[in-house]
Amino acid sequence: MSYVLAKSQNDDIHKAGECGGAVTSILKYLLDEEIVDGVLALSPQNDVYDATPTFITESDDLLSAAGSYHCAPTMIGDLVQKYLFDKKVAITVKPCDMRAVEELIIRHKINRDNIYLIGLNCGGTVSPVSGRKMIDLFYEADPDDVVSEEIDKGKFIIELADGSEEAVKIHDLEEEGYGRRNNCQRCDVKIPRKANIACGNWGAEDGWTFIEINDEKGQELIDGAKKAGILETKNPAQGAIDGREKVEGIMIKMAKKVQDATYPTVSEMDEWSRCISCYACRDVCPICWCFENCELNKPYFKDEQNIPPTPIAFQGVRLSHMSFSCVDCGQCDDVCPMDIPVSLIFDKLQKKYFNRTGYVAGVSDDIKPPLYSPEKTEL
Amino acid sequence: MLEIKHTLCPSCSVGCGLNVIINNGEIVGTFPYKRHPVNAGKNCLNGRNSIECYQNKFDKAIVSKSETDIEKAIEEVSKELGSADSSNITIICSGNNDMEEIEAIKEFGESKNFNLAFYADNLKDFADVASYDEVAGASKVFVIGDLLYENPLIGRRIVHAKQNGAEIYALGKAEESVTFNIADETSNSTVEEFLENVKGNIDDDSVIVFNYVDSQDDLDKIEALNCKCLPVFSKSNSKGTLGIIEPKSLDEMLELLDNTKVLLVFNDDIADELEYDFSKISKIISFAPCSNKTTEISDIVIPTKTWLEKEGSFVNAMGETQTFTAAVESDALSEIEIIEKLNG
Ligand SMILES: Cc1cc2nc3c(=O)[nH]c(=O)nc-3n(C[C@H](O)[C@H](O)[C@H](O)COP(=O)(O)OP(=O)(O)OC[C@H]3O[C@@H](n4cnc5c(N)ncnc54)[C@H](O)[C@@H]3O)c2cc1C
Ligand code: SF4
Ligand code: SF4
Ligand code: SF4
Ligand code: SF4
Repeated sequence: MSYVLAKSQNDDIHKAGECGGAVTSILKYLLDEEIVDGVLALSPQNDVYDATPTFITESDDLLSAAGSYHCAPTMIGDLVQKYLFDKKVAITVKPCDMRAVEELIIRHKINRDNIYLIGLNCGGTVSPVSGRKMIDLFYEADPDDVVSEEIDKGKFIIELADGSEEAVKIHDLEEEGYGRRNNCQRCDVKIPRKANIACGNWGAEDGWTFIEINDEKGQELIDGAKKAGILETKNPAQGAIDGREKVEGIMIKMAKKVQDATYPTVSEMDEWSRCISCYACRDVCPICWCFENCELNKPYFKDEQNIPPTPIAFQGVRLSHMSFSCVDCGQCDDVCPMDIPVSLIFDKLQKKYFNRTGYVAGVSDDIKPPLYSPEKTEL
Repeated sequence: MLEIKHTLCPSCSVGCGLNVIINNGEIVGTFPYKRHPVNAGKNCLNGRNSIECYQNKFDKAIVSKSETDIEKAIEEVSKELGSADSSNITIICSGNNDMEEIEAIKEFGESKNFNLAFYADNLKDFADVASYDEVAGASKVFVIGDLLYENPLIGRRIVHAKQNGAEIYALGKAEESVTFNIADETSNSTVEEFLENVKGNIDDDSVIVFNYVDSQDDLDKIEALNCKCLPVFSKSNSKGTLGIIEPKSLDEMLELLDNTKVLLVFNDDIADELEYDFSKISKIISFAPCSNKTTEISDIVIPTKTWLEKEGSFVNAMGETQTFTAAVESDALSEIEIIEKLNG
């Protein structure tokens, strides 16, 4: 593991990039040198709250995807395994994306040799609809006038078209039920160290991206992009490295505090009582990969005759099949029409499993998925 | 090429956003549209399954159970329309048609003096309806129908109301329902009795949300309560269509069908919806993107574009007009193009 500060040698990319434009530059290098068939990144469709996964094959199109989209709580695990399995792709991943990809790699649903994981450190994402409401309520600005947003030094900062900025403390927003998604407040993996590189603003100087190089493939990316003349690097000061580590530590501590405070509050049976068995949580879950072969599609589980449905059997099957590998990405909460805190229930069980086995989903170096380990049956 | 595009859910009148995944030009799945103000990326199973219509779409016309060229089938339709008296020809349009189609169907029907039938779940238009936010902010919600199960993204607003401290009074036909699970009081009575019982409880911040009534009288009673209400329809553009065409009650529908010899059904599944002996009608002609119970009993089926292949607009249950654009290109004819051909 080593660290560099990096910035783009291309002015347009440097300007469009969130920090030093290093990520976009590396993606450009991979496309231009035809090392990958395409790049899976995010690009805004209608506005900054509307960033959507985009598959890019021409490096000219990368500019429209540059920048960090904090109101885009997306997940790319499914897209990669279902539609890009045979392709060589580079993917920008938050820690939860990376963890989902890791879990899918150990299930042979994604081929590690085919992918480059460009990691982004992550302090959290905000749901677009509640994010807009939050700006409406707690900021002077109109949510439609926001051209970019960032999370820095404990504040959610919005930038308007005239260049002005407004910032409110995330803590205050979260006290009022806004701010980062609930699972993000609990998320204790902030730097995606299973990705080839982990990029972020922590420890970075203005106009530079701080990169932690996690493996050989990551080193090749940096060396290649430099050789292609698109990336410039320098060594970070020790103080920057230490500062970054400290912020990471604080974020993890805060997340653990939220975990301790929220796990005991959830009353599973009450929550399931309004479940409509729509399977949205299963269908979006990157770890539930069986699709048509899912046990729950078998005739003996079909619940169509029962209205209201009896979700306990369904939720029980899913909990026993995959909660050990839950990466707490919060996608299930996001898509649940009944606003059931599904991820809280699954993540709580994962942490129980972690306490017994030390297994951190999508992070630990286990070869086999936990589904096959003996501890599972005990829980 | 992998792409994700925005569209609207066509499967009920809530008006949820939906993203579709397109791989190599084909729709292969859905993806949460989290930026959409109505549903924030949440869709029920019906909504997510709505792409099956595209995946199973007709690519040929059907005349007397055999596949036929579309142009020839349209000629057959023209022949049938010429052979019957216009007073015995009935057009059924529905909330599955978008605003532009409804206008075109209405004009077509009126110009030919055909009967025009539009059925909106035996409900009717209310000029001033509650917004979804008003449901969530209500002090009391009176719910008629299992809204949580049947229209989940309005059901979610009722859950929010409950979480905000509202009292929930639920009426349903079945003994159990998901809405009952969150309700303070539940009932299996008639709608009339339910309204009578809750009348004294209604205050300025109450909202009545309903997706069925027992009779047209119930609608007048709801109107007379002077309380915000929100009728929720089973189809995406029923509310929009109500602004253009007067709906028929169940009884009126059945009476009209009794007097019909040639029935033209524009993207509707009336055979599934109404209990009626459709074999009494000499010719049934369906214009539909994919198979349903009505196309199965139709003498002629003309394939139309699915909503994913066209652009248009729907008006959702709270009266907001929402537009959508084509997610994929297609050679299929739109209903409007078919009407133009029928007009010669
Ligand atoms: C939600 C979020 C939270 C972050 N929080 C922190 C933090 O707390 N601490 C820290 O050190 N760094 C954080 N970062 C990383 C930082 O903001 C920059 O992305 C990183 O430094 C790279 O900068 P760059 O200029 O090299 O990237 P750019 O050249 O601007 O490229 C960024 C790439 O990331 C993609 N992308 C943008 N948003 C997302 C997303 N939501 N999911 C997946 N891909 C996306 C873009 O499409 C683009 O390809 C966060 C990033 C995101 C997206
Ligand atoms: S779950 Fe963690 S990695 Fe994922 S968006 Fe939230 S904070 Fe970021
Ligand atoms: S259960 Fe929910 S939080 Fe856990 S991995 Fe699946 S979608 Fe993510
Ligand atoms: S998404 Fe929500 S309502 Fe649907 S099955 Fe999952 S928990 Fe139940
Ligand atoms: S509630 Fe209605 S509009 Fe929303 S996803 Fe379900 S069927 Fe579609």
